Amino acid sequence: MDCREFCDQHVAFVDDTLAGIELVRMQRHLAECESCAKHDAKIRRALLLFRNLPSIEPSAGFSQRLEARLRECESDHLLAATQRNLRRGAIAATLASAAMLGYIATTLYHHSDAPRDLVMAPVVATIPEPDLTPITTSTPAIVASVSSGLTIWPAALFAEQAPVRFAHSKLELTNYTR
Amino acid sequence: MADIVRKQAVSVEGPSIRERLQAMDDSAVVTAFLGGEERAFSELVTRYQTRLLNFVYRTIGDREKAEDLVQEVFIRVYRHLHRFDRSKKFSTWVYTIASNLAKNELRNRSRNPLVLFQAVQKNFEDDDRPLQFEDTTSRPDDMYRKRHLREIVEESVAKLPEHHRNVFVLRELEGKSYEEIAEITECNLGTVKSRLNRARNSFAEIIAPYVD
Repeated sequence: MDCREFCDQHVAFVDDTLAGIELVRMQRHLAECESCAKHDAKIRRALLLFRNLPSIEPSAGFSQRLEARLRECESDHLLAATQRNLRRGAIAATLASAAMLGYIATTLYHHSDAPRDLVMAPVVATIPEPDLTPITTSTPAIVASVSSGLTIWPAALFAEQAPVRFAHSKLELTNYTR
Repeated sequence: MADIVRKQAVSVEGPSIRERLQAMDDSAVVTAFLGGEERAFSELVTRYQTRLLNFVYRTIGDREKAEDLVQEVFIRVYRHLHRFDRSKKFSTWVYTIASNLAKNELRNRSRNPLVLFQAVQKNFEDDDRPLQFEDTTSRPDDMYRKRHLREIVEESVAKLPEHHRNVFVLRELEGKSYEEIAEITECNLGTVKSRLNRARNSFAEIIAPYVD
């Protein structure tokens, strides 16, 4: 064993936690190496001083102060628990109210609101009967009566092709010959 | 006749609750407290107050503050005992809380020079106190020598770096195992051994000129 190894294992050596063989090797090195023996003695003496420091005791009022603080802590704990319970109650009440309002709103919505897809009431479309009364015109006379050169024929034809109601209500074919 | 009956009744009752708590190990006392036995907490305080006070005092070097911190440890234990993992050692848990509080105190001091100053002032006041721990039957020069030596030892410990001092006090004063120290300081085993080795060497170096 060299000095470096001795120093590395010195903690365990001082604390008596080394295995048998290692312990023997350490002891042998200690007997052979004066420097390591000095180091070992210095550490042990210092530790002895520290371990024998007088113990300090808690002051006279320590227990009373602790008791007072514990009582305070307990009352705080109770207060916090009460507040927590109240808070939980308030949250539960709020949730219940919200649920109730939601239910009421949903019910009202279903009753009053129109459906989103508009469904038109069925309508029966009726087409008025076309006026099939024959136009009693004398074609040559119409043609002859228009001085501008435009014949009346296109208008008469349009009137026939135009929407039936429109034609029916607005256009009255006139016999210009009358 | 009535006295005899009373005596018999007492002997049948057996040990009081306090005596029974004293006979229990930490884990059983904790279980008793969680089961509603309030006196179990007093038993825990009795068991740990002096040990924790010494540990915190050696770590931060201020007696008054050490008492405050130990009280804080017990308050935390009282509040959070229901969360304590009972598969682990109660003492390790308590020392972890104390160690963390001591660490925070040292950190706050380094940030706040005023606190440091107050701590120094308190130490000066300590010097004026009558001798408390020495044997009063000793000769005055022996008492002075002992007191002087005690101060030197305390000052030498205070000179160690915080993380070395913590491990050193836990091992040398509290006799904790390396594994427990690793758990309390939240370090691995190798770090604990290395810190302990350095702390011992440094402490021996610092104190050597005074004791040689």
